[in-house]
Amino acid sequence: MLLQLKDLNKQYSSGVHALKNVSFNVEEGEFLVIIGLSGSGKSTLLRCLNRLLEPSSGSIIFMGKEIAHIKGEELRLLHKQIAMVFQQFNLIDRRSVLTNVLTGGLASMSTLDSVLERFTPLMIQQARKCLQIVGIEEKAELRADTLSGGQKQRVAIARSLMQKPILLLADEPVASLDPATANSVMQYFEKINKQFGTTIICSLHFLSLVRKYASRVIALKDGEIVFKGDAKDINDVLFREIYGDESSDFEIK
Amino acid sequence: MKKDEIKPNKEELFVNKHIQPGDERKSGFEMKLNFLKAAFLDLFLVFYTLLILHRVIYYKLFLNLREIPFSWGQILVVLLVSIILGGLWTASRTSISAKLFGFAKNTPFSKWSVEISSWIIFDLTFIAGWVITKISIVDLFSSEGISGANRIFSAIFSPSFSIFDDALFAIIETVYLALIATVLSIPPTFVLSFLSARNLMKDNKISFALYYLLRIVFNFIRSVEPLIWAIIFSVWVGIGPYAGMIALLVHSIASNAKLYSEAIETIDQGPIEAIQATGANKIQIIWYAIVPQIILPFLSFTIYRWDINVRMATVIGLVGGGGIGTMLMQYQGLARWHEVGLIVLMIAVVVWIMDYLSAKLREAIF
Ligand SMILES: Nc1ncnc2c1ncn2[C@@H]1O[C@H](COP(=O)(O)OP(=O)(O)O)[C@@H](O)[C@H]1O
Ligand SMILES: [Mg+2]
Repeated sequence: MLLQLKDLNKQYSSGVHALKNVSFNVEEGEFLVIIGLSGSGKSTLLRCLNRLLEPSSGSIIFMGKEIAHIKGEELRLLHKQIAMVFQQFNLIDRRSVLTNVLTGGLASMSTLDSVLERFTPLMIQQARKCLQIVGIEEKAELRADTLSGGQKQRVAIARSLMQKPILLLADEPVASLDPATANSVMQYFEKINKQFGTTIICSLHFLSLVRKYASRVIALKDGEIVFKGDAKDINDVLFREIYGDESSDFEIK
Repeated sequence: MKKDEIKPNKEELFVNKHIQPGDERKSGFEMKLNFLKAAFLDLFLVFYTLLILHRVIYYKLFLNLREIPFSWGQILVVLLVSIILGGLWTASRTSISAKLFGFAKNTPFSKWSVEISSWIIFDLTFIAGWVITKISIVDLFSSEGISGANRIFSAIFSPSFSIFDDALFAIIETVYLALIATVLSIPPTFVLSFLSARNLMKDNKISFALYYLLRIVFNFIRSVEPLIWAIIFSVWVGIGPYAGMIALLVHSIASNAKLYSEAIETIDQGPIEAIQATGANKIQIIWYAIVPQIILPFLSFTIYRWDINVRMATVIGLVGGGGIGTMLMQYQGLARWHEVGLIVLMIAVVVWIMDYLSAKLREAIF
């Protein structure tokens, strides 16, 4: 088992109880999708998994090791093993696409080398390879802010690949893209999952995408898990349970 | 019918009091505190008003005394009267402070009292300001005054070019002094701005304490004018451009560190989170996620600071900070107005050029 969550709770200092006794396991090679209304705690959950946030209580066991409260160098090594892709891409706008991808490898460079931007030829070759995987190696020299949304997200995926991650997290990676682009970006996640066997945990909004890509689904509502299982088992009753009575099927399905 | 309407209301009030005893007690304490604050403010307002009435209106305007008598005894009497009047005013809940702290009576008299007294305080302040600055229309338009203005303006507008060479060297000194102060300020400002950015320092108690300390130090340094820093450093390192340069340097670091750190505080957190999530260390995060976002604002502030420093350098020259300002002071002291005219003209031209250049440069950057 790659990842094991037990009774995970997260309470923000503002008092919001964003995760309540969340427990689940993730096997190696899974494509786990997390669904739920906005505010249900998806981002909080993903950020606790790679420890951008520290959970209030509960345990997270990653590759047999408790990581819920690790700090310092140990935490940095965890970050290196778990990559993350964000809804807003979070690229460095003013730098080239290639440099953006290279930042995925910062953890294995000395501080001095990275500040002087002395990347080894091997790293540069790897970065180009990562760009090739997401199909935009020809954009390598362009500035990141000249790209379209879909291209930016592919660069962000290439950056995460540069880390050679054991686990890849994606927080609503296609939520700010149009449906066609969203689908094409999701295909790259699928490719990474199938080709490299990288475990993926991804939060999504549209059920059509969930059905197409998820090997398993977890639904959150107000910080609690309300469904665990196969995407095709989400029937109308469950749908209303997850998204509330007023939500229309068209919007999300 | 009416009785019926009132009754439940009263009950409600009563019930509410018992439902939230904590809230009631707290607001009761707050009420007392507010009352105390209001009493002090009213005391001050009455004291201020009486003092101006007594010293400015009575002595100066009414009796037209040249020398105003002063004794601490008098002041004490005024203070005692103010304590009594101010206390009564607050207690009657018709005072300005009662209004400010929201416990004033809602009566026409209370409204009238607040409005009239505010008006009186405003007028008295204006009159006192006028008297204290010795504003005199007569001085401005007396024949003696006009001929003085005539003399100085005609001299300034026919500048003497006999000292052009000296003035040129002096103004070059000023521009370079400002440039060196600006350039030397960049590295320390750069480092200090990260240490005084709230979003980078707030996570850890020690770093947060350092953040507060730096903010206080910067605020202090900035609140002391460069002119005064120049006086301090001219005693420290001796009169001349070096003292002026250090004065500008110190002031530039404090001012720009604040601007820089504010730029850091408003950057997009997304890239920081993303770079952090790759396992990068703190310095790598700063270099790749923060620096690219702030480099342009930093450059722009720095160019603007050079522009400001050239202007300040002329002023601090007046107290011995070197450059054109020192020269201006010397010729002004000798009442050689034609030479002063040339110096003023050269300062104006250089300031105008700097202003133009810095605006163009900053435009080009963005
Ligand atoms: N930094 C924060 N501080 C306080 N509350 C937060 C913070 N981030 C999120 N929350 C709250 O936690 C809850 C879950 O938010 P989030 O995890 O962002 O949900 P989702 O990603 O599913 O939209 C929401 O009620 C949100 O307001
Ligand atoms: Mg979210």
